Amino acid sequence: MNTGQQEHKLDAGFWRATIVMGVISALGMWGVVVFPIERYLPEAAGIAVQIDWLFKFMAFFSVPILVYVNGYMIYFAVRYRNRKGQPLDQPGSSIHDHKALEFWWTAIPSVLMLVLGILSYVLIPQYYTARAASADSVTIEAIGHQFSWEFRYPGLRDPVPDELHLPINVPVTIDSTSTDVIHSFWVPAFRMKQDMIPGMVVPMTFTPTEIGKYEIVCTEFCGVGHSGMRDRFVYVQSRSDFDAWYAAEKTKQAHAPTQLTAAVLASGDAGAGQQLFNARCTTCHNAAPFDQRKVGPGLANLFHDPAHPKLLSGKAPTPADVADILEHGLSGSMGQMPNAQLNGLSAKDIADLVAYLKTLK
Amino acid sequence: MQAAVGTAHVPHGHIHPPPDTFIKKYIFSQDHKVIAVQYFITSGLFFVLAGLLAEMMRAQLASANNTLLSPTTYNEAYSVHGSAMVWLVIIPILTGAFGNLIMPLQIGARDVAFPWLNMFSFWLLPPAGILLFGSFIWGAPEAGWTEYPPISLEQSFGTSMWCMAIFLIGVSSTITGLNFLVTIIKMRAPGMTWTRMPLFVWATAVTAFLSFIATANLSAALLGLLIERTFGVPFYDPAKGGSPVLWQHIFWFYSHPAVYIMILPAFGIVSEILPTFCRRPIFGYKAIAYSSVAIGLVSFAVWAHHMFTSGLAPWVQLPFMIMTMIVGIPTGVKIFSWVATLWGGNIRLTTPMYFVLGFLSTFTFGGITGIMLASVPADVHEHATYFVVAHLHYVLFGGSVFGIFAGLYYWWPKMTGRMLDETLGKIHFWLMFVSFNATFLPMHWIGLEGMPRRVSTYDPQYQDTNLFISISAFVLGASMLVFAYNAIKSTLSGREAGQNPWGARTLEWMIPSPPPYYNFEDIPVVLSGPYDYGKPLPYREIKADLDYKPIV
Repeated sequence: MNTGQQEHKLDAGFWRATIVMGVISALGMWGVVVFPIERYLPEAAGIAVQIDWLFKFMAFFSVPILVYVNGYMIYFAVRYRNRKGQPLDQPGSSIHDHKALEFWWTAIPSVLMLVLGILSYVLIPQYYTARAASADSVTIEAIGHQFSWEFRYPGLRDPVPDELHLPINVPVTIDSTSTDVIHSFWVPAFRMKQDMIPGMVVPMTFTPTEIGKYEIVCTEFCGVGHSGMRDRFVYVQSRSDFDAWYAAEKTKQAHAPTQLTAAVLASGDAGAGQQLFNARCTTCHNAAPFDQRKVGPGLANLFHDPAHPKLLSGKAPTPADVADILEHGLSGSMGQMPNAQLNGLSAKDIADLVAYLKTLK
Repeated sequence: MQAAVGTAHVPHGHIHPPPDTFIKKYIFSQDHKVIAVQYFITSGLFFVLAGLLAEMMRAQLASANNTLLSPTTYNEAYSVHGSAMVWLVIIPILTGAFGNLIMPLQIGARDVAFPWLNMFSFWLLPPAGILLFGSFIWGAPEAGWTEYPPISLEQSFGTSMWCMAIFLIGVSSTITGLNFLVTIIKMRAPGMTWTRMPLFVWATAVTAFLSFIATANLSAALLGLLIERTFGVPFYDPAKGGSPVLWQHIFWFYSHPAVYIMILPAFGIVSEILPTFCRRPIFGYKAIAYSSVAIGLVSFAVWAHHMFTSGLAPWVQLPFMIMTMIVGIPTGVKIFSWVATLWGGNIRLTTPMYFVLGFLSTFTFGGITGIMLASVPADVHEHATYFVVAHLHYVLFGGSVFGIFAGLYYWWPKMTGRMLDETLGKIHFWLMFVSFNATFLPMHWIGLEGMPRRVSTYDPQYQDTNLFISISAFVLGASMLVFAYNAIKSTLSGREAGQNPWGARTLEWMIPSPPPYYNFEDIPVVLSGPYDYGKPLPYREIKADLDYKPIV
């Protein structure tokens, strides 16, 4: 039976353990301070540096909390374990509470939260507010599609698909929206993310500070091709490189694209078409029979499928009508197929694809 | 012996005779203890199914451009995995199973307030499970457990089945919440004032309040989605004048309190196990009890922290960030109080204690990453990445599931009358603890580096880490086999537990194991709180055998 309550004191062992945990915490905190985040993920925008700093602030104070909670837990569990010969029901300390201790372990986290709250809040306007357009700033519309991005630049007639070019050290505002489902535009190197919500236009503002090529990732589930909405890039360029790209793009758009004439269509190269198909089309289509659909139907028997004598556009499967879908896109019962502009297909690409599709059985 | 207690002695009060047919006794039972076991078995089955879906996902993710699963199958797998784990496993086990098994016993009641409703609540669970897992036949939902429109409006019929399944669970949850609230308010034994209640009952009371209030919102949102999918009434489709963000608001107005529905009972379990095996009062009883209430109330004002990238104005984001950070304070108070309970104890490191210590370690980590996600600018980077996947598994697996296993190892003897094997229990713990951390810790890193969640293929730079995660996840799954073996072994040949194998002081240990029909021969009178080890028992009308004989 009981052998009486015993009260413990904060003895040398306790303080030794506390100091050891202090040393471990200090090492961990030092590790947080010197950790080179940018070595693993570039800080390619001004805001990225600030957000990483905020993250380090949180990690810095997390270290002692983790070390002391785990440390005391393990230390107490070992130190006060039931030992050989000690009765199992011998009661431990009868201390119910300790007002001062409870005050401090409520107050200190509260102060930390307050500081974190303020630090976080002052950062929000850095990226959220759409700045008044200065002579120097750029505003770009970004539109999410299943499964591509469309970027509209001031002064360019046509949107640029899946490639975002930005001049370095110029504040840029991205106005995000979507035309189908919710997407989320994320550039990890900028630490910036904004959901693209149909029916809403939401701005975010940042300033790219490092020349380079950074991945754009979709982080909101948007359909069967969602996993494939990566490997598209932001190019942060020097002012002159950006201007050159912009001028070239403008020239390219000004010249009417090659007409998709019958001659061009007939000259398609099936080999090139196959490469193109595997690179661009497999997000939504299989080179398999109709029923093996992804977003759209499988395309293997496109030109000779007794079960589906007509295309989804309702026309007969002639090369010209297939090319017409590739050129202008299709909004049908299975969803929306983007046009050649958004898919980044030239007239020759279309001809190659048609040639390739004809070879499939 | 149980039958003898139940029938031979008819105590004062309104007592029905025990059911006499098999169907009334085991199928449509109104006995809270039988219903609890039904919940354990049903949700245990769903846990296996949803766990297998997770293993399928990890098999797909073992290499970067794997083609083991089609994108559609993969999307269905993670959507049903998440939905099932939240609604068919963790919530029913913590409320339906543990709440039913323990709460009436701990307050000295003979059953819950509305036994028929209790039975009804349970019987909504199997059809919900059949609807959810059956949705694979027509094409299961693909947009995750959150099913954001407009994409969820375009999916196949399985998504409508998902709506119906979750709606049924919502009704079940609301009824159980009401039932438990009334039970705790009205049916406590004489003398059991609010501050003499065991902490698990406190946790269950707050959980019941949350289930009762919050779940109706989910039902409304789901009904809207179902109506829009079926009849085209545009609640959420922006092309027709609806708002997709509306769904997010209503969904999270439920689903954030739901996070606390999924963790508060685990807090309660931890708060019961610690004093028993430390042989000392819980440190800061009132702080722990009232912090549960505080967490419950604040949980209604944090929902938009799931939507920091959904285009909310900064002045809307600010209060949600602050409230979210405030939740961290009562949670911290609990964690510190539990650690302080260890101080000066006479600690017996049994399997339930191993799981409690594992819980403290992993849940603290999950809590801290929660604060990191609360900070709006940091969240802009972290949102919808593997960092979030890691965080939520640290709180739901590292928190809730570790708490569930702690509670199972602790109350199994009460439920079945037999002990679980301690050695197997400790093997289970170490396998699970190590493989859990090996699975989810690296996810923080790849998330911050740039890997989004809900993808079936990914950039090859994350290949090695993902392979490591997948292998760990298979070990994690295998660790459950140890528990299954232990449970079967205990059922067939486990040592008799006796009334009070752990020498605990709460009321459920004052009656035989398993408890007889109607639980208490005489309703006990409660004289003080339950955790004063070393003092005489605070109950009258109880004939308890208090000798703490080590069973294992």
